[in-house]
Amino acid sequence: MQRRDFIKITAAGGAAAALEGCGNPDHHLIRFIPEEDLLPGIATWKPSICTLCPAGCGTLVRVMQGEAEVIRNGQLGILKMGLAKKIEGNPAHPINQGKLCPRGHGELQVTYHPDRIRSPLQRTGERGSGQFKEITWDEAIKQLVSQLSGVPGPSRGWWAMITSPLRGQRKTIVDDFAYALHGGHFEFEFFDSALPAVDLGQANYLLSFGADFLGTWNSPVAQSISYGRMRKGRPGQRGKFVHFESRISQTAASADEWIPSRPGMDGVLALSLAHVILRDKLRSAGSAGGAAASIDGWTQGLPDFAPEKIEKQSGVPAATITRIAHESAANAPAVVLMGDSAAAHTNAVFSARAVNALNALLGSVGKPGGSAFSPALPMRGSQSMQPTSNLSHREGPGSASFAMFRDMVTSTSKAPQVLLLHNANPVFGSAQGSQVRDLIAKSGFIASFSRFIDETSALADLVLPDHSPLESWLDDALESGSAQTVVSLAPPAMAPLHNTRSMPDVLLDVAQQLGGDVAKALPWKTYDEALKASFSELYKEKGTKNAKDADDFWSKAQEQGGWWSADEKPSAPASSKATASPAKYTEPQFDGSADDFPFYFLPFASQMFYDGSLAHLPWMQEAPDPLSSVMWGTWVEINNRTAEKLGVKMGDIVAVASAHGTLEAPALVTPAIAPDVIAMPVGQGHTSYTRYASNRGANPISILAPMTVAGTDALAWAATRVKISRVGEGKLVMFGASMEETPKDLKHR
Amino acid sequence: MPHQWGMVIDLDRCTGCEACVVACHAENNISTVGEDQASRGRAKHWIRVERYFEGEFPDVKTKFMPVLCQQCDAAPCEPVCPTFASYHTIEGLNGQVYNRCIGTRYCANACPYNVRFFNWYNPEWEKPLNLQLNPDVSLREVGVMEKCTFCVQRIKAGEIQAEAEKRAVKDGEIQPACVQSCPTTAMVFGDLSDPDSEVSRLARGNRGIKLLGELGTLPKVTYLQKDSWHGSENA
Repeated sequence: MQRRDFIKITAAGGAAAALEGCGNPDHHLIRFIPEEDLLPGIATWKPSICTLCPAGCGTLVRVMQGEAEVIRNGQLGILKMGLAKKIEGNPAHPINQGKLCPRGHGELQVTYHPDRIRSPLQRTGERGSGQFKEITWDEAIKQLVSQLSGVPGPSRGWWAMITSPLRGQRKTIVDDFAYALHGGHFEFEFFDSALPAVDLGQANYLLSFGADFLGTWNSPVAQSISYGRMRKGRPGQRGKFVHFESRISQTAASADEWIPSRPGMDGVLALSLAHVILRDKLRSAGSAGGAAASIDGWTQGLPDFAPEKIEKQSGVPAATITRIAHESAANAPAVVLMGDSAAAHTNAVFSARAVNALNALLGSVGKPGGSAFSPALPMRGSQSMQPTSNLSHREGPGSASFAMFRDMVTSTSKAPQVLLLHNANPVFGSAQGSQVRDLIAKSGFIASFSRFIDETSALADLVLPDHSPLESWLDDALESGSAQTVVSLAPPAMAPLHNTRSMPDVLLDVAQQLGGDVAKALPWKTYDEALKASFSELYKEKGTKNAKDADDFWSKAQEQGGWWSADEKPSAPASSKATASPAKYTEPQFDGSADDFPFYFLPFASQMFYDGSLAHLPWMQEAPDPLSSVMWGTWVEINNRTAEKLGVKMGDIVAVASAHGTLEAPALVTPAIAPDVIAMPVGQGHTSYTRYASNRGANPISILAPMTVAGTDALAWAATRVKISRVGEGKLVMFGASMEETPKDLKHR
Repeated sequence: MPHQWGMVIDLDRCTGCEACVVACHAENNISTVGEDQASRGRAKHWIRVERYFEGEFPDVKTKFMPVLCQQCDAAPCEPVCPTFASYHTIEGLNGQVYNRCIGTRYCANACPYNVRFFNWYNPEWEKPLNLQLNPDVSLREVGVMEKCTFCVQRIKAGEIQAEAEKRAVKDGEIQPACVQSCPTTAMVFGDLSDPDSEVSRLARGNRGIKLLGELGTLPKVTYLQKDSWHGSENA
């Protein structure tokens, strides 16, 4: 063999050896029998599903042989096993088409996090003290079974399970479990998972009210892919993007035109645009169809919303509104998005209906280059589970919002006898979180399926740690991001590192041990058995063309990462039920008087931490925020002129106070925010969330007022007013020193 | 003719999302340094996204620009290295031989793009975070400079695979981690010695500029300037 050929071999395979140092004391440990046969140095790619946000992107996990220190049967040793090494987008998946956002890479660090819970835990100290001891799975499941049997009963109260929003078979299993055992399933989220599938790739004009669609909103990777096409995918044709919001978000930064509008004015502006389009006969009033019927004054041409009349109130010059209306009508297809802060004002239902009507008027709904669903209405209270104090008299399985859980506990003043938690952290993510903490702490018995001790799981009596997503069977039935029907499926990419079990597997085990109705409702031994059964149904309905039989269909879906329809059919918006009365403009309400609290407070989703659930990952902490370049911390955005008036300099610590609390954080002085708005990223300020996130920065949710979007039970998280004052000198940790002046070659053309 | 690897970054597509930044950390075993070290300017991001604001409220324009090693053909970092740790590879990359590097940091001083990073400490991964490490990329120890390699491990793997199959490397077959992740396809990678490759085609476009090109560094990264809207108010 020539030396060159030898080097080729080592380049492909030998590098692994370089990672294991000589004289490593680990090598004195015993070696377990390998669980899997893998060729050293050869990577295999396994499909998986990203679970870190509701978008549901398909991924490919690079798995290579490696040596992990693990505990098996109480013995520490070394196991040669397949280890996930890198995550890429799955090119075959219709949502993300091989691409990934920054957060998507983080599942590796979720899996290998040093503070992951490695075995079932039982509380030993006071509730909330964080003192636990390790127990076996048999003991843990025995405890859960005994707690759940006899609940609800005449003397034993009720029980509930709180999860993040679930989809697919995971949701079915939890819903069926709760229904058969007469418990309630409640879903918690801070940012609403939105529903429209938007086709930006073919749009020529794009209007966005507040939606951070390139960063965190809805299906950001799918939207970024089509945004790239809108900009440069069609030779000679470049779509325009206009963003309305009081601050430049990561998404607004890419807009051709950022139009600072006053908070809560989104519906007003949408109808003003519609007014100009109708007045100047750019579209006929009838072209908006049913959507227009739900707007008060539509047939009269929306006279109250003439640009001149709303100029002052909205903060947008009349000439600008008129121009944008003309541009959007002249450059079809045009699409309008609304989300994030625009959907978090008290009048957001009005705004959403106004945006719906504008979309319909522009003629792009359900068509290429348009939107395929109505904008996200934060109406979670309208789901199948109705408010009731008697959970045993329901029509069928389903879930309700966390707000309803809160109502049930406060109105009956009875906390649940048993509370199960999965992947939800309402103590961190609720306005008046300390009240939520007290409310949850009143529960008789709390069991958590969490992988980490977060603020809510810190209250648990029993912890039944879930696998990492890479170690689990996963499935997802997507509601957004693609015009195709998408059902994602993935077997585990690697064997579990620790003594953990998958949440659905534990529920199925508990169901069998409890027997009776719940055992009948959930007859499967394991989650993958349940998945296989659901795919066999899907095969009968959809899969007979491409697969020999149900087994073939099942194995093909596993190889591909799921099943998706070949045809793209953008569906028209789900026809909203005939609303009783046409939508009328209502003033946005804000907590706190303008005299005492002169600033609007605008929390926003962090590009790296999303709603705070990713703040425990070192990659996310050290990645500089795209707009502020801040690392390992949090900040308060203040307009530069406002800061000058207040004597606040970059990095100074400021106190931000609402009527509900005060926090302190360093100031980021910027021209990219309205002078009467103070903004803060959500994500930091954890009191308990691993070594990387605990006691770092401040949590803006902690000072929010408990305002709700009128007509729903959703938190109006942009409806709080604050005041600020300088506390003293401080410091921001930022990356990059050379961002003061744009290099001359890069000025806007 | 050897490959000449190059990149095009379309600033009209880039949204500053930083998928490239995290993808690079994951691929290249870049260690995180923590808050204290980061505050001393010691964080290592082989690729970063620079952000520029122009104007005052309410007329503010924003621009993002991902900056990584430009793999210059006349690289200021190379001639200053006393140990030949920084050198020019036959495929036009600014190579960095870690075990030749003695940490003079002359190269970082000479680089006008601020894309070279010094290891002030030995990297640490709190167990079991060490299991995330990519076995194809060597670790850098204290006292050594590190920088973007255009994912040379992926380039080599692609070239070896093509040679084993007795064929040329296909255009687009090799992608650095940042390019593979980029949701808007703002980044395109390929062989500049092939005039028909996507990267060559894009680099010739009239929006193309070189960052600090006036310094004569001959970068192999071409930026396509942000475009503006050419539509009209009236149909």
